[in-house]
Order: sequence, then structure tokens, then C-alpha cells
Amino acid sequence: MSETSASVIRVANVSKVYGAGEAAATALSEISLDVARGSWVAVMGPSGHGKSTLLQIMGGLDRPSCGQVYLDGIELSTLGSAQLAYTRARAIGFVFQSFNLLSHLTALENIQLALWFGGKESKEGHARAIDLLDSVGLADKAHLTPSALSGGQQQRVAVARALANDPDILLMDEPTGNLDSASEADLLALLGRLHAQGRTIVMVTHNPVVAESAQRIVRVKDGRVEEDRYNGS
Amino acid sequence: MNLFKLVWRNLLRRKGRFVFTLGGVAIGMAAFVSLLTIGQGLDREIKKQAQGLGANLVVTPKGWCAYEQISVLTGEQLPEAIPMSEVDKIRAVPGVKNVIPYVNEKTAFRNRPVPVIGVLPEEMRALQKWEIAAGRYFNGADEPAVVVGAAIATQFQLKPGDTFTVRGNPLPIVGVLSEAGNKDDVASFVPLPVVQELYEVKGMVSFALVQVDDLQQVDTVSLRIQEKANVAVVTDKQLLSSILSIVGTVSGAMQAVAAVGVLAAAFGIINTLLTAVYERRREIGIMQAVGSTRRTLFAAFLLESGLYGLLGGFVGVLMGILGAYVLGPYLTDNAFTASLRQSPEPSLDGTTLLLTFGLSIGLALAAGLYPAYRSTKLSPVEAMRIV
Repeated sequence: MSETSASVIRVANVSKVYGAGEAAATALSEISLDVARGSWVAVMGPSGHGKSTLLQIMGGLDRPSCGQVYLDGIELSTLGSAQLAYTRARAIGFVFQSFNLLSHLTALENIQLALWFGGKESKEGHARAIDLLDSVGLADKAHLTPSALSGGQQQRVAVARALANDPDILLMDEPTGNLDSASEADLLALLGRLHAQGRTIVMVTHNPVVAESAQRIVRVKDGRVEEDRYNGS
Repeated sequence: MNLFKLVWRNLLRRKGRFVFTLGGVAIGMAAFVSLLTIGQGLDREIKKQAQGLGANLVVTPKGWCAYEQISVLTGEQLPEAIPMSEVDKIRAVPGVKNVIPYVNEKTAFRNRPVPVIGVLPEEMRALQKWEIAAGRYFNGADEPAVVVGAAIATQFQLKPGDTFTVRGNPLPIVGVLSEAGNKDDVASFVPLPVVQELYEVKGMVSFALVQVDDLQQVDTVSLRIQEKANVAVVTDKQLLSSILSIVGTVSGAMQAVAAVGVLAAAFGIINTLLTAVYERRREIGIMQAVGSTRRTLFAAFLLESGLYGLLGGFVGVLMGILGAYVLGPYLTDNAFTASLRQSPEPSLDGTTLLLTFGLSIGLALAAGLYPAYRSTKLSPVEAMRIV
């Protein structure tokens, strides 16, 4: 099923319940949210109230218990696991709080891995990975493994990996959560540039300062949208 | 990046585990190759010895067991239980061309056991087509002299004119046989009446070989002999088949042991890969988030497993070949092989080695199926929660 929409991401009446019976825990409760193409949305709220779950469902990492999620008009639940994987590889870039780089691969190889999943051949992938590392200022760290990089550097590699297949959408879960203030400022400047290039960014954060960089702030509480406002309004 | 590079990097992350798992596969396959080739070598050697028998029927005392039948081929010591009168009866059976009675005894020579075979010189020479390498052959049917096999002559540095002691009785060595490539190389030969006297078994023999006039009539002649004389008769083919069945049982048991080793190696791979899947749960989740399909994850673990089979099989086959040569003589040290000039050479043929190599890869791939399947069943969200 597809739906024509100006929204690049549309979450319609999505609920997510973990477990069953008395142990059931509701993470999201009939939540609806439209994310316009090229917008920068910060999702805020207390811990354990469903922010990360919302992001994971938007990115097809998890499936909702009920409701629909549309990505570029395509309902994700209609996609098989291979199509969903392909969508994650080509249309979405994920960035996580704990960087989630593969520890035994170098910075370059981490990016090449994403390129390979996106269908880029090895040779083409190598040149593209070097360019991406250069774009985040880490071309000289290409052959270092994550353990040899600072937190800020690792997160920049993670952003470069997220950009590997030139996705329209970046989904970020607390991307500055493990960074010092200087690295945080660097990353926000990088995200500003990516947003200026027309990318859609949805970013979960606790940090109000970071959230202020976004155009729109959505507050989630108890699995529902408590507040949805545009910055400066 | 490609699948092979990713898998290779994964393999080398836990070098110790990699080496030990690979060692398990290699040892399992090495045992398989060694025991298979040793068994095949033994089989080939027995057939060679049986071909060297040169007779169509073997006449034995009634009630002989398989071990005694094997001794006919090996030249081991045997009881003398057939009277010469029975041998004469056999000679008179229609269709019998030749009867060659044997007395198989042993003597200690320079503290080493050496087979002493009592034979009828002329009949024996006609049957075995022996050639003399040094000295001469017996001058008469009861000459108190010894002709030694080529290997015995080399081992004890014997030459014509030397003295050979049989049961404490010195006998002159009159000749040395040319190398025959069978048990005759490791025996000493003395005219039958002389041996019967020395061993106090006058008028008795251990067994007799019979040549028939017409090969088509072997079974008929065999029945006739059993009717006329109080003996048992087996054809050379029956003898070979009964010996091969015993050796086959032994070889089968050895191969079963090797198969257990191979299976243990396969379970080692399963264990290693399941541990790897467990350890890499978080990575599997990350890979899925970055765009990996389940098929890629499955292929990665299957390839990792296949590499254990490929590398383990390669090392195992090499170790197996080496093992067959080094351990072979110890593993096949028995009454049969002791009688040979040297232990049977392992039978190394390309088909066996290729099949073993294929078995290693096939088993490893089969072992990888379950861990690979498990890797695809992980939820990316659950997997990434693992710290």
C-alpha cells in the first residue's frame, strides 16, 4: 500500500507494546507524526517514554504493534525483510549515541561495509569512503580502528557511514550523548551543513541546547506526542 | 568491502579459537585420511600376496580358523596336522595337476624369529618361478641345506657358504633368492623331509597348495578332494575374500573411529560459530541497521564455516598423508604385516584425497547451517541493546 504525501516520513496511529499479558509494556500509544522532506526534527522527552522506539520504528528497525509507518509514501509493513534491509541501506542513515562502529574494522572499512550493503562495488566504494571521511575531516584516520579514535571522531565516522549511500533521511539517536562540548559543537555544525544540503534529519535528544539547532521540536511523553512546536514559535 | 574480506576479518579476530577449531578439523580429517589410506594399503598388499600364492586351491586341516588361513599368506608358524598320506590321496584325485605341501615353522636366528618353510624343492621352484641371486638351488629333495629370501639375506648379511641355524642345527646356506616382492623375501627354505625331521613332525605337513588342470573345474576338484581326503579345501578366491573381510572389519573399525573424529570436529565448528553468533549479536544488529540483509548474514556465517572446512581439510589431508607414512607401520603392526618385507605402503590416490577434502568442506558447511540460521533470527533492536 502506498500513500501520496508531502511528508517523507509519516507515522499514523502507531502503538508499540512489548511483552504480553500482565508483563505488557506500552512504549508508544497511537502516536501520529508527519516529517516534511528536508526538515530537521528533534524528538525530546524523558527516558523510557518511547523516543528511541519511535525512531527505530520510523527506520524500519522495529515493527509497530499496530498503526502504519510510511517512508516516501511506502508503508514499511508491506516490505519484506530484504526490501526493508535495502531501504535501510539506501534511503536511511542511522547514527547512534554509542556510535555502533564495528570494532574490528577500520574507519574506512566501516564505511565500505555500508557502501557494500548499498550495492556499491569494492573499488567504487573505496573512493567514496575516502571522500566521506574527508568530508568529516578524518581522511587521515581512515586506517585506524574505532578504539584508536576519540568519541567525537568515532561519531563523525558514524555520520560518514550514515551518509555512505547518500540517503535522504538521517535518523539519529542521541548523537551528541557521548560527546564533549567541543565535539558536540563540531557535530552540530556538520549536521547543519547536511540539513542545508536538503537532508531530512530526525534526532532524538535529551539536550535542549542540541534540540535548539533543529527546526521543529516534538516532545514525547508516555508514548504520545505531548508537544509539537517549531523553533522560535 | 566484500563478503570474503568481512568473513576473513571475523575469522582472525579470535586467533586462538580459530587455530584450535581449525586444529580440530585438521586432526579429524588427518585421522580419516591416515586410516583410510592405511586400510587401502593393507588391502592392496593382501591382494598382492594372494596373487603370489600361485595356486588354485588351498588344502587345510578341517576346522581351521580365519587367522590360520591368513597365515597361509603370511608364512606364519602353523601346526602340522595333515598326514602326508592325505597329500598322496589328493595327488590321485582326477583334475589335480600339482600338490605342493608346506611345513611352516619358525626358528630363532641371531635372536630374531625367522620363518622356516619346508618345501618340495622342484615343485616349489616350478610354482613360484624363483630365481637365484647368489649361489645355487637345492641339489636334491632332501638336501640338508637352506636357501634364504632376499630380505633375510640383506638383514643378516648372509651369503652362500654361511651357516644358518634351524632349531639349534647348523645348516649351510647354498643360495639366496632374487627379490620376489612378497613373503618369500622374509623366509628361509629347507627341503620338506629335513624340516619334518628337525621339528619332529615326520610325515606331517601344515597345509598344501593345489594346482588344477582346468580352471573351470576348480569347484568340482575341490569337492572331489574333500570326498577322498580328510581335509578342508578353500579356493584362492575364497581365501582372499575371507581375509579381506577380516581386514575390512578392522579397516571399517578404524574408519569409524576416524569418522567420530570428523564428527567431533564438525561439532567443534558448530560450537565455535554459535559462540561467535552470541558474541557478535550487537554487531549483527548494527549490520542490519546499516543495511545488511539476512541472506548476507547467513552467507557470512556459512562462508566462515566453509573456510574452517577448506583450511582444516587442506591441513588435515597433508597431516593425514604424513601420518599414514609415520604412524602407518605402528598401526598395521600385526601378524600379517610382520611377515611382509616392510609394512604396507599407504595407498594414496587422488580420488580419496579429493573426496576427503570435499567431505571436510561439505561437513563444515553443514555444521555452519544452524549457527548461520541463528544469526538471521536476531532482531536488530534487541541485538543493539546488548552492551
